[in-house]
Amino acid sequence: MGYARTKLTGVTVNMKFKAYNGYTLILPLGAKKAYLIDMEGHVVHQWQLPRPPALYGELLPNSNLLYAGYVAEGPLAEFEGAGGEILELDWDGNTVWSYKDPYLHHCFSRLYNGNTLVARWVPVPKAIASRVKGGLIGTEREGLMWGDCLQEINPNGKIVWEWLAHEHLDLEVDTICPLCARSQWTEISSIEALPQSDDILVSLRRTDSVAIIDKASGNIKWRWGAGEIKHPPDATMLDNGRILLYDSGYHYPAPAFAYSRLLEVDPNENKMVWEYKEAYWVDFYGAFMGNCQRLHAGNTLVSEAPTGRVFETTRKGDMVWEFVNPKRISHPVYGHHNIVPQAYRYGPEYEAFRGKKLEHGSLLGQIS
Amino acid sequence: MAYESPHSVVYYDPKKAYEGYTLIDPLGSREAYLIDMEGRIVHQWKFANMPALNGIFLPTGNFLRPQQTPLGDEELRIIGLAIAGRGGEIVEVDWDGNLVWKWEDLYMNHTITRWSNGNTMVVRWYRTPDEIIPEVPGGFSRTELTVEGNKVMWADGLQEVTPDGKIAWEWISFEHMKPEEWPICPLCPRSEWTHANSVIEMPDGNVMICCRHISQIFVIDKKTGNIIWRWGEGELAHPHDPTLVSNDNILLFDNGGHRQDGSNISWSRVLEVNMKTGRIEWEYRGNPPMEFYSALCAGCQRLPNGNTLICETMVGRVFEITRDGEIVWEFVNPFYNQWLKDIFGRTNQVFRSYRYGPDFPGLKGKNLDPNNYQELNKLYGPDAQK
Repeated sequence: MGYARTKLTGVTVNMKFKAYNGYTLILPLGAKKAYLIDMEGHVVHQWQLPRPPALYGELLPNSNLLYAGYVAEGPLAEFEGAGGEILELDWDGNTVWSYKDPYLHHCFSRLYNGNTLVARWVPVPKAIASRVKGGLIGTEREGLMWGDCLQEINPNGKIVWEWLAHEHLDLEVDTICPLCARSQWTEISSIEALPQSDDILVSLRRTDSVAIIDKASGNIKWRWGAGEIKHPPDATMLDNGRILLYDSGYHYPAPAFAYSRLLEVDPNENKMVWEYKEAYWVDFYGAFMGNCQRLHAGNTLVSEAPTGRVFETTRKGDMVWEFVNPKRISHPVYGHHNIVPQAYRYGPEYEAFRGKKLEHGSLLGQIS
Repeated sequence: MAYESPHSVVYYDPKKAYEGYTLIDPLGSREAYLIDMEGRIVHQWKFANMPALNGIFLPTGNFLRPQQTPLGDEELRIIGLAIAGRGGEIVEVDWDGNLVWKWEDLYMNHTITRWSNGNTMVVRWYRTPDEIIPEVPGGFSRTELTVEGNKVMWADGLQEVTPDGKIAWEWISFEHMKPEEWPICPLCPRSEWTHANSVIEMPDGNVMICCRHISQIFVIDKKTGNIIWRWGEGELAHPHDPTLVSNDNILLFDNGGHRQDGSNISWSRVLEVNMKTGRIEWEYRGNPPMEFYSALCAGCQRLPNGNTLICETMVGRVFEITRDGEIVWEFVNPFYNQWLKDIFGRTNQVFRSYRYGPDFPGLKGKNLDPNNYQELNKLYGPDAQK
């Protein structure tokens, strides 16, 4: 482990009147803890998790924590973001709802109707898989290419809607990145139910695009990204209808510069209308995982992910908050890491905190 | 790295590190520096041009530096070579910066080495013949350069230049390479076939070259021009800087850009490969692997005490490790500039760095007092407020 990269931990930048005041939720990869930290890095609440996170969790308005848990014995456990059980915990960590499916992965979205949108892996039928273009030859997983499937689950665990990606993808357009394995086709990295319609916004990591699915027909009614972005881990729709997305830049063709950026895309004009890069572009680089959340006043919270670094930037590109996860854990592939796959900021007025006591706890680095 | 990461020397174990002076010639800089183990500047050279891509401090005490010359519009139109690694001239200066030798070549890239016979080996670009271009497999399609309406793919070659400016030997890659045997990395542009970044002299006088676009190192028989040995296919990803560390072993930096291991992690490693067996006998990776990664450039130097000095270009970090992978010295370049503002923004990159022990012949009799650079050390030395 280097010294320069690890000397600074905890909250390293905190511009009090420019950053969006609130509490940041993080679920460090590989640990069984979720933490809510304040702007200075003190832990104000934590949950003991029955399972480590597949990747992330969210604090619901009802003050429950909803997250996808990682099942180590799962059939596809070595896939990045593999899950297996969606869990909802109350404020004190009691499990109040769960849904099991060994093929679940990390994406989920709680809908307004109380149902939960989940993502799972299904094998792509061989007749289709053999015609999927791109990827490294001969790298299917035990001969199979896994595709994405979305399901809507009601509180009783019943599947009320299903969408199979391979029934709607376009063999000419949805091609796998030339350097990726053919073990998966699209590798959905985020799902978001859009307000005011039944549409679902997804980011497709392995085919380098973001798309909007029409729920009624299952058709992909909008797609963007090919030739513009690489391996996006997250996309979200803003109030003004634009799509905010995190372009990881991994497997960028041409000299491998390796930098990430945030983009705002106008889906009507099909072009990028805003871009964020670090002053030294390479200083912001998340090869895998990560998320971006637009906060009030136009700031964006980003979890860079592999570096355990979460930062908040203004729309002009000034960094106003930065946090580096001080806790490290060992993993056979990721090494002695401090990965924070995703982070979410909630303002103090958020419904979930009503009636809750938020202690001014110790700094994250000081608690075990 | 974090926004306010520390700079200059951030760690130093005097008991384990190899004592000496480290050359820091930042990319895009018109100054090169020697720093001591605490990070204090003890010597500075000043130049008219930026490095292409780093200078070499010679045992004679001179400083040999390939440099990037500004390209006029006419030259740009003709050669279309605006690639970041291009050179244009080589200068050799003495300790005080006086010019002792100069060589100009519009087509040189950034790779040179002083040969044992006093000549200078220069890697340069040659246009791949039109009929060969379509036979070269790989690369990201339709990315050849266009010069005056013609498709251009640059190949590498060598010229051995004598001190009085004669060409003693020349070698051109496409005269010795069958295209189907040397495919370009699937994600790299077809504007260049091989992209050589290092050339070294083997003990038998043969020439070893390292190429980024084909991710391999190979040896040219100087007498025949034939390629007599190659290694790296399936193992390396955009490598740099091979050096001979024993009779059989090569030390090199395996960057990891466009690595075809199907993983999601970007990681670099420094490795030692036995030329006779083709087996990797030693390797260093970061822990976690993501924390040691330089997509481009970078270098490594084996030190007399068995440690290895590693230059992780993209984050401006130079560090020294023991054979067991323990970091015993670490430095982050405090000199920033915007030399490639449209590609990188503001950077503190260093292409390659070298450590010179106190008995290095070039340092003999030289004034290495950091007090000669008090103002510079106040701003960029170990005690500077950052």
